[in-house]
Amino acid sequence: MDLKTKLSILSDAAKYDASCSSSGSSRSNKSGGVGNAARNGICHSWSEDGRCISLLKILFTNNCIYDCAYCINRASNDKQRASFTPEEVIKLTINFYRRNYIEGLFLSSAVEKNPDYTMEQMLEVVKKLREEHKFNGYIHLKAIPGADSQLIQEAGTYADRMSVNIELPSNDGLQKLAPGKKKEDILKPMNMIGSKIVESKANRKKYNNAPQFVPAGQSPQLIVGATPEPDYQILRLSESLYQKMNLKRVYYSAYVPVNQDSNLPAIPKPPLLREHRLYQADWLLRFYGFSADELLNEGNPELDLDFDPKMDWALRNLDIFPIEINKAGYDTLLRIPGIGVRSAKKIISARQEKALNYQDLKKIGPALNRAKYFITCRGKYYGDFAFNPDSLRQKLKHKVGKQDKYTQLSLF
Amino acid sequence: MLYFIYDGSFQGFLTAIYEAFYSDNPPEQIVSEENFTTNLFSTTKKIETDEEKSDKVYAAIKDKISSYTLRTVYYCFLSELEEIEINLFHYLKLAFKEGGQVNKFHSNDIVKKIKSARRKVSREAHRMKGLLRFRTLKNGVYYGPMEPDYNIIEILARHFAKRLSDQDWIIHDLSREWAAIYNQQEWALTPLTETEIELSAMEEEYQDLWQEFFDSIAIENRQNKKLQQQNMPKKYWKHLVEKNN
Ligand code: SF4
Repeated sequence: MDLKTKLSILSDAAKYDASCSSSGSSRSNKSGGVGNAARNGICHSWSEDGRCISLLKILFTNNCIYDCAYCINRASNDKQRASFTPEEVIKLTINFYRRNYIEGLFLSSAVEKNPDYTMEQMLEVVKKLREEHKFNGYIHLKAIPGADSQLIQEAGTYADRMSVNIELPSNDGLQKLAPGKKKEDILKPMNMIGSKIVESKANRKKYNNAPQFVPAGQSPQLIVGATPEPDYQILRLSESLYQKMNLKRVYYSAYVPVNQDSNLPAIPKPPLLREHRLYQADWLLRFYGFSADELLNEGNPELDLDFDPKMDWALRNLDIFPIEINKAGYDTLLRIPGIGVRSAKKIISARQEKALNYQDLKKIGPALNRAKYFITCRGKYYGDFAFNPDSLRQKLKHKVGKQDKYTQLSLF
Repeated sequence: MLYFIYDGSFQGFLTAIYEAFYSDNPPEQIVSEENFTTNLFSTTKKIETDEEKSDKVYAAIKDKISSYTLRTVYYCFLSELEEIEINLFHYLKLAFKEGGQVNKFHSNDIVKKIKSARRKVSREAHRMKGLLRFRTLKNGVYYGPMEPDYNIIEILARHFAKRLSDQDWIIHDLSREWAAIYNQQEWALTPLTETEIELSAMEEEYQDLWQEFFDSIAIENRQNKKLQQQNMPKKYWKHLVEKNN
């Protein structure tokens, strides 16, 4: 099989959200405005679906011994199969990089023969790229669940980012849909990578030249909508992973129905809006000081689809609003819908010059079309109607809901 | 109306700033020779580029205001926007008075203009760091043509001298007829008009592979060409390997 055909099969196989390959790394700009600020990588192109292309994203092989229900590459699917050699992956990576097509390599794989065999091949790729070819570009590896931890650990010394996919938000789901994978096979390496990262960071504080280990962190992903767990359970899981496993971030991937299987839900389309809401909520967990329990609870376990999670939170906590923009501290400003990290910081610094009037605020540029219902500026309220906690949700549904749908369109 | 006329270089511009600060009669416009057209009401003063004066201004901005401000001035200068020079003069007057915090005066009109110019240039430079495509020529040199809106070639040359340091390359701004040439040690700018290029024998294979990857990575049922164009405006497609075949 020639290289072009392999590339075609193995990049095609890598793009599906529900498989070993998946990660949102190419979609990190998705959570809206602020997301871009945190993302310092370079996009080299944008594909026809509007996503940023920055890495050569491929599977090493799609020839899988497992049969995960949600996965396009499952063993029981009748598909054309292909495997690269390590040399081929190296050649593509180096030559694409030198032409400035890519920022680096994103290598994942189905499980060929057994987890160790597959992991060994991937290790050879990254080891040779770094040692023989002195490749300094970015490398993101997906560790193969169940592979020898020695192999995973060695690969980690060459990769910038390495992660194991969580796949499904509960053990039940895993047993039902991915019977080849065990929870321990996923959590053990995740834990190992997490503690190695901490260890290497500590060492590097002492000795500058101590070896790096996965310096860009790990970013596992999980599939949303293939199993029945509610958003509340998913966010609680992410929250605890952030606390325990030293994760960079979790990627949420709307389940794309690619297979027929009685264990899978029959949905016509991937739940993209839900995926988007989870990203927004996750963002609030990591950068806005929210906790999962503030956003959702047992009685209200799903994110609202009409309003973004912050707006929804504000509408459930109207007693603290409207907030005076010239008085509120940073943490409080951040809780106002339409005001993000950047605007909050700008407001604080512009306030030192003088008390802001509404005109000044406009120039600073928070999303006033949302914020105006929740603030006062020098004591005056600028919403289109009087502030009334009982009717605000109803009235805004009309206005904001529409704008949000519009952003939806441009996001996907 | 008093015009200061400088030679179009960054040094020349900084010299003009020096003169403007020390003149009893400050300029109403600062314009490069190339962009200046006389009119009935103009009086002009020609600024001779002076290394010492421009170095002084450079150091003063960096030390007395901030490196951020220095970079802002440089990026705005590269924007080549109309009246950017005189706007920079007013901005610097304010900045020398207020210090680095001037950049936080988000409601000040002149600061807003300057920041918007800076943003335009840095956004295009950032984009082009991704969108520039090198082709290998017969002689082994990597050749990257482009037609950017702003004069960002120096920013790119610095970036690629770090990133692709062990290969010879040329970055060619076709619209300004200007090129950065790198020989694995240092880079230099030189005038260069559009020329016939001869591709290496390997080149087509890799372009073909890249095209294949580009086509197969897109998810059909999520097609969104509008978003694609928003992120990667059509004006850049001409030199993109994956878009012009
Ligand atoms: S292990 Fe499961 S998810 Fe991964 S490629 Fe094989 S079938 Fe797909």
